[in-house]
Amino acid sequence: MIHISSFHSVMFVFFLASSPAFAATKTINLPPETAQLKKSAHPGYAIAQQKCSICHSADYINLQPPGMNLSQWTKEVTKMQHAYGAPITDDDIKTISAYLASTYGSEKPAVATPDKVAVDVTAKTANAAADSKNTELKNIDLKNNELNKIDLKSLLANNACLSCHAIQQKVVGPAYHDIAERYRQNPEALEIVMKNIQSGGADKWGTTAMPPFATLSNAELKALAQFVLSQ
Amino acid sequence: MSADKEQIVKNRRQFLLGTGAGLLGIALSNRTWAAVTETLPFGNGERELIAYPQKRKLMRITTRPPHLETPFAVFNEGAITPNDAFFVRYHLANIPMSIDPDKYQLNISGHVKKPISLSLSALKAMETVEVVAVNQCSGNSRGFSNPRVFGAQLGNGSMGNARWVGVSVKTVLALAGIKDGATLALFNGLDMPVLPTTPDFIKTLTIEHAMDGEPMLAWEMNGEELPFLNGYPIKLIVPGYFGTYWVKHLSEIKVLDTALEGQDGFYMNTAYRLPDNDCLCIPAGTAPTATKAISKLKVRSFITSIENNQSLKLGKATLLKGIAFDGGSGIQQVEISIDNGANWQLTKLGKDLGRYSFREWQFTYKPNKKGQAVLMVRATSNAGETQPMQASWNPGGYIRNVVDATKVNVV
Repeated sequence: MIHISSFHSVMFVFFLASSPAFAATKTINLPPETAQLKKSAHPGYAIAQQKCSICHSADYINLQPPGMNLSQWTKEVTKMQHAYGAPITDDDIKTISAYLASTYGSEKPAVATPDKVAVDVTAKTANAAADSKNTELKNIDLKNNELNKIDLKSLLANNACLSCHAIQQKVVGPAYHDIAERYRQNPEALEIVMKNIQSGGADKWGTTAMPPFATLSNAELKALAQFVLSQ
Repeated sequence: MSADKEQIVKNRRQFLLGTGAGLLGIALSNRTWAAVTETLPFGNGERELIAYPQKRKLMRITTRPPHLETPFAVFNEGAITPNDAFFVRYHLANIPMSIDPDKYQLNISGHVKKPISLSLSALKAMETVEVVAVNQCSGNSRGFSNPRVFGAQLGNGSMGNARWVGVSVKTVLALAGIKDGATLALFNGLDMPVLPTTPDFIKTLTIEHAMDGEPMLAWEMNGEELPFLNGYPIKLIVPGYFGTYWVKHLSEIKVLDTALEGQDGFYMNTAYRLPDNDCLCIPAGTAPTATKAISKLKVRSFITSIENNQSLKLGKATLLKGIAFDGGSGIQQVEISIDNGANWQLTKLGKDLGRYSFREWQFTYKPNKKGQAVLMVRATSNAGETQPMQASWNPGGYIRNVVDATKVNVV
């Protein structure tokens, strides 16, 4: 893959690679993902960034017809939870729908303060099926988690962490064991990992970007970081 | 899902997203170079034109997973849609990124006498069939829906016509041997959902349809191997049916002796459904009482040689041309109106490439009055189906086939 850096932009040449072998393996490299949700002070913006990006890019939303109302957007977000198993609670649906309808649709933007975002960490996951189907979740050792009030299993399920990470091997992102190894000697490990979960990003482990998890509380970030660093 | 998906292990779940600047929210403007765009004629219709592997610049609908629409001007290039212009559509973001053709296996199981696993070379050694057939997205033209509906906001470019070469599903299933009581053939490809709670993309055909000799597994498209993004190395071709059935990177055929239920049945039983009545339609904004699975293409035609609001010279003979197609009975006639539907004349049909193919038509138009004129084309199939003058509506924005109007300015 050839990277051509110019003053104003970074361009990629995308091509199909064939290894020079008997019958060549075909490999594909795709253009970068640049689509972003429209910024908003609405609390639904951060939740939408976090939840929607688990499964798809923001252009799914950006290209929808203008002028859809709150009821229409709510039906669509409900479909994400109901039909596609998105890890969002009923409260998330309300908040995300309000953001989408006021940012992309015909709803007048409401004035909302970030304090009103209620992230109930002990709430049941929207999809109990996710727990039963995800065997990694079943095998998690909770003994290392000091903060017993935090429901770690729910946290992992609600944010679909184990769709991209496993304990011992790379899936999309690095294995938790490998992360723990990298930061084992680092006295600031906890803060670093907490910040990385919160901001997401790429180029620490590879080019695939992790979505930001900006709505998690400090306690939740700490619980997750401690869990990761103890693997 | 099943173990056969693990055959392509390397990089299977890695989608290289580049620097992911979009997700970081870093102020790396993606507009510092002039982004080439095309604008479709409906609200929020601007589309970035971007070249993907093995593709010319196409309109990007979504990035992850990729969804690309063909700019409509391509259809004036000829009856066959070039591979590098052919549209691309995935539902699930876990798409294969690396495929070793030597290790590829098509697994056939279920209500069969003998489950078998076939390599590509085994498939290619079987009796070859070919068909020229239109692949049209179920939601092609959804952007024109009035009132608008959610979904991929497509113009008229999510369709393509190609010569497909491969082996018939009938031949392959006969090797496994269908047992008595078989009801359905289930088709599944390598692409997978990100979350275990998201339904996999699975389609079924009745066993009668699967065995009627027409559905085939294609490895060749217009004389070349399939483009990666169109389903390399093999794709299910269902001539006359909407594109939702044309499963890419086909890896599994399972014969069932029951109905398909549960999560695996989502893309047959919940998605891709039409109102179950004669018009496959309901009053705009309402909900259907009963639905049925989408199936056959509806007759359709387009003018490809002129754009809306183009200027034409008074008194100058202009060759108009375009395409028409239907769900497999073939095109009987394409009529044209140059006066907004008041009067109709027959066009001249082009070479017949087969009943599932685009059929070209042409007509020499000599405008004899200055000002705006409205041109329309209307196809009638050999089965007697013709296009409606008023668009019908369904909640999914599927199967649009209304007669289109193209305005010209005679100067």
